Amino acid sequence: MSTPKPVMLVAKREFMTRMVTKSNIISMVVMVVAIAVLAIGAKLLLPDDAEPEATRIGVDPAASQLTDFLEGSLVAGPGGVAVTELDEDAGRAALAAEGDERMAAWVTGTPEAPTVLFEDAPDPELVAVVEQAARDAVQAEVVAGLGGDPADVQTALGSVAVSVDQVNAAEQEFDPGQWIVAVVLISLLLFALIGSGSMIAMGVVEEKTSRVVELLLSTIRPGQLLAGKVVGIGAYGLFQMVVLGGALVGVVTVLGLFPELEVNLGLAFLLMLVWFLLGFLVFALLFGGFAALVSRQEDIGSVTTPLMFALFVPYYVTMFLVPAQPDSTLSKVLSQVPLFAPFMMPTRAAAGVLEPWEMPLALAITAATIPALVWISGRVYRRAVLHTGGRMKLSEALRSTPA
Amino acid sequence: MSSLEIDRVSKTYGTVRALRDLSFEVRAGEIFGFVGSNGAGKTPAMRIMLGGRAADAGEVRGNGAPLDLEARRHVGYMPEERGLYPKMKVRDQLRFFAQLHGMSDTEAAEAVDRWTDRLGVGTRRGDAVEKLSLGNQQRVQLAAALVHNPLVLVLDEPFSGLDPVAVDVMSDVLRERAAAGVPVIFSSHQLELVERLCDRVGIIRAGSMEAVGSIDELRRTGDAPWLLSWNQRTDPAAVERALAGVSGLTVTPLPGRTDAVHVVALPGSPGAEQSALRAVLDVGEVTQFAPDLPSLADLFRDVVSQETTVDEEVAA
Repeated sequence: MSTPKPVMLVAKREFMTRMVTKSNIISMVVMVVAIAVLAIGAKLLLPDDAEPEATRIGVDPAASQLTDFLEGSLVAGPGGVAVTELDEDAGRAALAAEGDERMAAWVTGTPEAPTVLFEDAPDPELVAVVEQAARDAVQAEVVAGLGGDPADVQTALGSVAVSVDQVNAAEQEFDPGQWIVAVVLISLLLFALIGSGSMIAMGVVEEKTSRVVELLLSTIRPGQLLAGKVVGIGAYGLFQMVVLGGALVGVVTVLGLFPELEVNLGLAFLLMLVWFLLGFLVFALLFGGFAALVSRQEDIGSVTTPLMFALFVPYYVTMFLVPAQPDSTLSKVLSQVPLFAPFMMPTRAAAGVLEPWEMPLALAITAATIPALVWISGRVYRRAVLHTGGRMKLSEALRSTPA
Repeated sequence: MSSLEIDRVSKTYGTVRALRDLSFEVRAGEIFGFVGSNGAGKTPAMRIMLGGRAADAGEVRGNGAPLDLEARRHVGYMPEERGLYPKMKVRDQLRFFAQLHGMSDTEAAEAVDRWTDRLGVGTRRGDAVEKLSLGNQQRVQLAAALVHNPLVLVLDEPFSGLDPVAVDVMSDVLRERAAAGVPVIFSSHQLELVERLCDRVGIIRAGSMEAVGSIDELRRTGDAPWLLSWNQRTDPAAVERALAGVSGLTVTPLPGRTDAVHVVALPGSPGAEQSALRAVLDVGEVTQFAPDLPSLADLFRDVVSQETTVDEEVAA
């Protein structure tokens, strides 16, 4: 029999036995629904930043020359200030009113000495706005007295713009939006890799425990069995990622959540799928080879723990190192290390700090390690998979001839 | 494939020599019974036949050619440690095995239906294997060995755990496959069954074949004692005196019987048992006089008792 056919048969079995179970279908539906519900909930709860509301202020008709300066305030928050002329009684009533009638403050007095009335504790920001408006009013009067045009002064003041720069570029702030996207994506990647890796490990040990492996290996080669497992479970993991990650990206895009986010979600997700595939191959082979060393489900932990570290360490390093120093030498070097690359690369790509050569090089290095891992895992697997009883030592599996 | 040959196969596990120069042949169309005490090396031998383990030395041949992966696709194997996917449905599982052995989808589906019906688990095709009783799991295991129309059958303890009806079905299947020209080898501790079913038997001890042949051949090797019995009107004491007068004869009383003895002619006195018969006829009436051929169980005990050190460590 040619090699691909048994591999595909094994892969198909691995895929189908995981897909076509009630628990799988239910959990997938539940997770997709949960993502949609969360996204809709977020849409309803998050403040709608697109049209910030103006702060409403009542102004005594006696102080009406402040009105223009209040409404044109440069120091007011987003949405600016909306001014309504109200006499003292109406102003006081409006401070206690509800809804559209409500005023945040009521201003009276002369521009030189305005008085701001609040219902409760004064809002310092609003006081500052009034103070600035009063200064502007006084200044306008003085400028007019000197024969100038107060409007020109206002325009000139409004056009002042300060540019900010810093000497040390590495201390540049990582955009929190990008950071959140990156953390969500690498967390998804981490869980997908842990999930698929555990599935491989459990599958290998299940075949050993149930002894079905002996029957399988009377017809196919150990390498074909391991390859089929990796392909089948990989396809299943990829399917889960596409469904769940796709649902996430889809609802975020459709509902227009996080409009200020300057990340191309679709591209970031696609990039993550590529890295999932590479990362999956690396870790799946390790999980498969290591799991063959033990014969019972209870012993899986002893062989997968080091691999869990190999997943969590790059994950945490990425999460904390990349936002702090996306462009440092350490980040660049670690990005090229196979176990780190699947986490570092998509994150740094999302931050937009990659040199053009970095991504292709990292992909090439990781891809190049895969044949070596195939060889090592295949060797360990072949030697250990028919070994029963206690745990086989890794060195023993690498050294000995097939039992 | 018309024969299966095991040629001087040796295998050592760690410090334990599980197989030493094991050689025998299973001919086309014959059922070969493979017996031996626990740890004698039956399972390692069968595993090596199926290529799960490589032999240190020697070769397994099918029809004269080394039994490689391609040839092993035509072998039906039932491992000693039963192995099926517990959570997979019987039908899906058997189809998977059939396809792994090279059958097409439709061939596999048809064969699965046929064999599950034949083995009495047709109504359980849609159930996960773990939901079946052990006996039914055993039937499914046999179906997994048969489903791809194998040209050689290698079955490790196929009868253990089966009810009498299933034993009959299994026996019929083995006879039928053998009649179709398939060499069948199975191991068992149920020696009456082996005696009834097998054309030839091999007794393995400490990793090498002690005796091979048809049951009759094995029983006739060596000098079988003659059973001599008499009726109630005959005085045992008179018989004893009469036999004592025959020279060149060993007389062995049978435990719990006063009406019969075993007599064996000593080397150098051929025909002494005939003189014993004449002597007893003079003093009484003989009811039975015949060579008492050993049962397979007796042969087995003989072979096993030769073991000076029982190799407890040999992996079963």
